[in-house]
Amino acid sequence: MGKSSFKTRVILFFAALLLFGAGGETYAEDELNCVLCHKHRGLSRIDENGNFRLFYINEALFEEGPHVRVKCMDCHQDISKIPHDPAKKVDCTTECHLTEPSGQKKFSHKPVADLLAKSVHGKLDAEGNAKEHQQDYPGCKDCHEEPLYRPLSFFKGKAPGISERGLSRCKTCHSTGNFAESFYKHVTSRLQKMRKPTEIVGICAKCHGDKGFQQRHDLDDVVTSYKETFHYKAIRFGSEETPDCMDCHVVKGESVHFIEGQDSPTSASNKQNVPTTCRTSECHEKAGPKLAGFQVHVTYDKDKYPLQHYMLKFFTALMAGVMYFFMVLIILELLRRLFPNFSFRKPPDDDHHSSK
Amino acid sequence: MYSRFKKLIGKLYAIALIVFALWYGNFIYPIIFSHADHHEEPPAEVQVFGTTVKSPEAASFEEEALKKVMKEQKATATTDLGYTVVKEQYVKGHFHHIGMLVEPDETNVCTRCHGAVPHDKSKPIRAFLNMHAFFVACETCHIRQKPNQGPWAFRWYDKANGQVVANPPELVATEKEKYGNYGTKIAPGTLAADGSFRFLNGERERAFVTDYLKNKEGLSTTEQSKMKKVIHRMVDEKPLLCDGCHTSSQTPYIPFAELGYPPRRIQQLTNTEVVGMLHKYSDFHIPKFLLPGTGAAWSEGGRGKPGQSSDPKVDWAETSKAK
Repeated sequence: MGKSSFKTRVILFFAALLLFGAGGETYAEDELNCVLCHKHRGLSRIDENGNFRLFYINEALFEEGPHVRVKCMDCHQDISKIPHDPAKKVDCTTECHLTEPSGQKKFSHKPVADLLAKSVHGKLDAEGNAKEHQQDYPGCKDCHEEPLYRPLSFFKGKAPGISERGLSRCKTCHSTGNFAESFYKHVTSRLQKMRKPTEIVGICAKCHGDKGFQQRHDLDDVVTSYKETFHYKAIRFGSEETPDCMDCHVVKGESVHFIEGQDSPTSASNKQNVPTTCRTSECHEKAGPKLAGFQVHVTYDKDKYPLQHYMLKFFTALMAGVMYFFMVLIILELLRRLFPNFSFRKPPDDDHHSSK
Repeated sequence: MYSRFKKLIGKLYAIALIVFALWYGNFIYPIIFSHADHHEEPPAEVQVFGTTVKSPEAASFEEEALKKVMKEQKATATTDLGYTVVKEQYVKGHFHHIGMLVEPDETNVCTRCHGAVPHDKSKPIRAFLNMHAFFVACETCHIRQKPNQGPWAFRWYDKANGQVVANPPELVATEKEKYGNYGTKIAPGTLAADGSFRFLNGERERAFVTDYLKNKEGLSTTEQSKMKKVIHRMVDEKPLLCDGCHTSSQTPYIPFAELGYPPRRIQQLTNTEVVGMLHKYSDFHIPKFLLPGTGAAWSEGGRGKPGQSSDPKVDWAETSKAK
């Protein structure tokens, strides 16, 4: 058997699986039964640039996100045969088969991409020229994996997950297919943050926590400084009420994709706008304008912020001095309890005493 | 008596407090002094595997790739959905969730050099071959039984320690739960007269490879070539082909039933129609009627109707040629 004949047979083997081997479960929008192959966990290769490419799709998790209504080929549009050639990079701005209900237009993420392009994270400057260090500016996948619903129950108090009782009310009228369940998950997930604050911080930290990135863009280590704040401490302990990066850097009512640099007069983090940002109804609503009059992201670079740097040194020395001074004192006191008669001085000569 | 007891308690108390004070002093040290100058310069170079890797600007493509691999190895991602937490392997650039942690094969002798994702030559099937490498040891397909050898058998081994394990119960679970990620692999071995089983690449071979890799640098390049030949002496030039196992024959090369595959899975793996298709057709493309939502059934991208197609690949009737 020739080499090419073998390859052809292998190709056809999988082609045949596509048509006849569709015994497994398939989800609604996988009409081509792509998961027949992509359900295998080890389906992978190393690409020409040395990147590990994994082609496995976890069906159960895929069904838990808004993309469950999108057909595979809506995103992977260049695939026209099975087995297919290496698929092109997905363009999130293409139109998919869904109709956006409010405008009756084909759904696309293009408006989001347009906002991102105008934001501080856009790859072009105001004049339309490419910014320096293009590789540092994010694309969709740098911040987003497959979105997953985080449904909420409000039936008797707020709780994570679906309220079966609440859902049953929807299903009374909307009983066809999974419409009610999907709609319920979609809406309730968006009544809160789609991702936990710790995850948001982690996403921003992928770039902003990188020392090389900070140096290239002359940025402070805002991740470390944020993690020293009370805001992050609360988040670390599970709070979803205290602000993460998005709450302070996105103007209320604006898309999270439209973050502006602090130099922009309309930016949420512009010095003039910071009090307004802090005084949103969910946060410090009644606070005075001086609430955020301090440097929020305190960094201690000696050259950039000498005052903060020496202040830090002073307080570190003060803290260490106080703590360790009293600690040594306590230990000496306890040693005295253990050895009440111990002395470095030479004990008096008994003979000399007795002769007196 | 009472006063001595009281004295003893007092001393124990003092000792305990001294120990606590020392521990506390050590505990608060990083808290007090961790507020270092955060605007550190990124290191000009980093030592990785004994190699000096330069800073991003100066690093070569290879050095950057190595740094990236080192940074991302064993990375995990956690997504908290409130009602459940998804913990998974972090695969940079992988959009879809995988919802699992991969149990690496710590014991296979081949992967020590060839890695866990070794197949790359054959473009159409390399990903499928790598998929098999997830639960089938390399020697299963790449070492065939020689005529003068005794009886062979197949067993599952634990990826963590290489020991024979029972057939994984996950084989009978639904596909969504744990399909292919059993923490175990199938590998061939020999059966002795007393019925005892021994893997082809057992403990002795694993120890040998470990020892060889440790001492490899001490060998000349010619000696290394010699050893390479010796180590690969059992490897067949032509590996087992797909239809060795995916066959309607009653005796597929891998005895699925013996290895714990349930009848439903065996039927999927040895489906008669699949085997028939494998022999009858020489090409396959997705017919347009299977691509709903892409506009007019036959006119996408300027392609013509059946029989008029400018790109014959889109036309099922034209391209699926019966032999």
